[in-house]
Amino acid sequence: MEATTTPTTEPERKAKHTKSDTASGAWYPRWYWPSFTGPGTIWMIVLFLLPFYTVLAVAFGTVDPLFRTPLPVYQPWWWSFATFQTTLQKFYVAPAVYQPPLIRTFEYVFVASLICLVIGYAVAYYAARYAGKYRIPILVLLVAPFWISYLMRIYAWQSLLQPDGYVNDILMALGLVSQPVLWLSGKGITVVLGLVYGYIPFMILPLFGSLDRINQNLLEAGRDLGASPSQTFRRVTLPLSKPAILAGLVIVSLPMLGDYYTNNLLGSTRTSMYGNLIDGSVGQAGQGPEAGSLVLILMVIVIVPMLYYLRETRRAAENA
Amino acid sequence: MSTHPMEHRWSRRQFMRRAGGAAIALPTMSAILAACSKPGTTSSGEGGSGSAGGERVLARPDNPVKLPLNGEPISADTPIEAGATLQVYNWDAYMYKKVLKDFEDKFGVTIEWTTFNNMEEGIQKLVSGQVKPDVFFPTTDYISRLVEKDLLQPLQQTLIPNMEGNVWPSFSNPGPWYDLGWQYTVPYTIYTTGVAYRRDRVEDSVAETQGYDLLWNADYSGEISYYDSYRDAIGMALIRNGNMDPNTGDDAAITAAKDAIMQLLNDFDGRLTINGAFAKIPEGEFTVAQSWSGDIVGAKWYLPKGTSEDVLGYWYPDDKVGLIGNDCIVIPTTAQSPRLAHEFLNFFLDETYGYENFASWNGYQPPFTSIDPDTLISDKVIPPALDRAVVTEEMFTKGLIQGELSADVDQKWLDAWNEIQAGGSA
Repeated sequence: MEATTTPTTEPERKAKHTKSDTASGAWYPRWYWPSFTGPGTIWMIVLFLLPFYTVLAVAFGTVDPLFRTPLPVYQPWWWSFATFQTTLQKFYVAPAVYQPPLIRTFEYVFVASLICLVIGYAVAYYAARYAGKYRIPILVLLVAPFWISYLMRIYAWQSLLQPDGYVNDILMALGLVSQPVLWLSGKGITVVLGLVYGYIPFMILPLFGSLDRINQNLLEAGRDLGASPSQTFRRVTLPLSKPAILAGLVIVSLPMLGDYYTNNLLGSTRTSMYGNLIDGSVGQAGQGPEAGSLVLILMVIVIVPMLYYLRETRRAAENA
Repeated sequence: MSTHPMEHRWSRRQFMRRAGGAAIALPTMSAILAACSKPGTTSSGEGGSGSAGGERVLARPDNPVKLPLNGEPISADTPIEAGATLQVYNWDAYMYKKVLKDFEDKFGVTIEWTTFNNMEEGIQKLVSGQVKPDVFFPTTDYISRLVEKDLLQPLQQTLIPNMEGNVWPSFSNPGPWYDLGWQYTVPYTIYTTGVAYRRDRVEDSVAETQGYDLLWNADYSGEISYYDSYRDAIGMALIRNGNMDPNTGDDAAITAAKDAIMQLLNDFDGRLTINGAFAKIPEGEFTVAQSWSGDIVGAKWYLPKGTSEDVLGYWYPDDKVGLIGNDCIVIPTTAQSPRLAHEFLNFFLDETYGYENFASWNGYQPPFTSIDPDTLISDKVIPPALDRAVVTEEMFTKGLIQGELSADVDQKWLDAWNEIQAGGSA
């Protein structure tokens, strides 16, 4: 946030400090500040727009008649929408084979994001307000999992959750279950917990940043004016952290919607998510246009919460 | 000594995409160029045979094909390219590094090893020219298409004496069904597809009576693995259902196979995996698994310390009418060191080097006359309980081959497979 506001405020400040200057842009050519967006623009063109256009070209393209490898079509006037249409219909025209994974994806992402929020908020709240000298260790511990690749950590979970793994050993030793729980044979809860495990740091960090910045005086003012601790939380802390909650939810739920490896490694086809549909068709001979179509459909789905987030943050910025 | 198999061995068909590393088929330069003219009409018919598209002849054991000859083989007195770098394009870890090193030492050359994670990726990169290997390892169902596109060069057979000297005669005379007269291919490995099981949990006699239904057995719920590979998955389900054509285009048969697989996955908590047989059976996570014979032979490298090889079992129909196949080695047209490539083919068909590659690393058997099935067991290359994982020449005459499918039949299989992967509403 800070960095993006600097360019606009800088000239003003300069203008104030050097009184001899008449216009704020005197020291800088007109293109100077806009040019700062150059690297980002190039980045977006090369790493977003071009690949995205390629996805379009694959989705509306064709396949090599012999090897059935995808043959992207880059000229829109030759695009064919047949595969896109049949793919789309697999979501709502009987037998609608793609509908169950879509519904599952929403369920899993909703539950997992909610768990992330509840756990994440508590942790961030504690770290920001009460951890004292333990703040830094807590933050380091939060980031620590990133030192090991997600794949490796999920492999570790695979062996922990095996029928004869430690999780079952402990549950059996405590007498909570009499038979080993088959965590890895297509249980929704395992996939949801895997998602929570994988994405929760992304929830905690923005929440911590926001809660940490809340002015203590506001909370004290709330208390002075007679609000109970829970009222202060509901009417001061929570509204002030709302942008961070939204940001956290967006940051964790968008990648979850396209996640496929969590289910690949912890679930089965019974817990197939949307990402698994894409993963299954990408690289399968003859399935290129279908994979591209699935990507486009997911993008449309993802745009809805994204627009809501943008509107909310803009509103918050205007109110601030 | 290079890396011990225990540390680094992967299955030949370890599709890394399952583990998160998707091999995304992004367009390549040639695909982009191809797209500059009217799409879909561009890339056919370059190979000269002119039959791209609808009327392809699909090679089958009962309909073997003699492929058209694209040009001439290299001359037999072509000198070996001294000091060259041989580009080998293969499945990940499908060859023993030590034997590759032996080849380098013998010829004073360097091998550059490039891998693909599944056949589609391998083909895509070869066709688009992203890789220009000297040696490539395709499955049999791609051979005629590769020749049609003029991507393979005819072999100079006099430079590969081990074909006559050490390989099962049926591979050279009349030659395999996909390449009569072995003009373009030599075989690399042979394998059957059966059912691997844990002998400490499943009696051999039970395996014998149940056969394929070991995988459709509620007793092993949650401990069943099935291959995440549509041809193998649907192929075996067809046979299990009594349909003995693993290349069928029959809608009812495909639907029944699909339903059977979904039953296995949904009712018996089965899982689609690629490492189920070779890694997870020895580790004990699965009790039964659909398995290539080479996977279960290689599984011994994955046994935890102290676990005996005797826990590994493999069922394949006693009458030998089951899925069987082989992989090939070919020399692409783009080879920079074709003479050296011929030496490479001959080297891996050698009874010493080829055998070491199999016995000390790969688990996938080469079709050598010098290999006696009984000695494989007495030499402890294959544990006695895995005697059915040994492949014999005779099995090829009875076995069921998975050949190339026509585009519309292939689409039927893929539609069924998509539905399986979507998991149903359970």
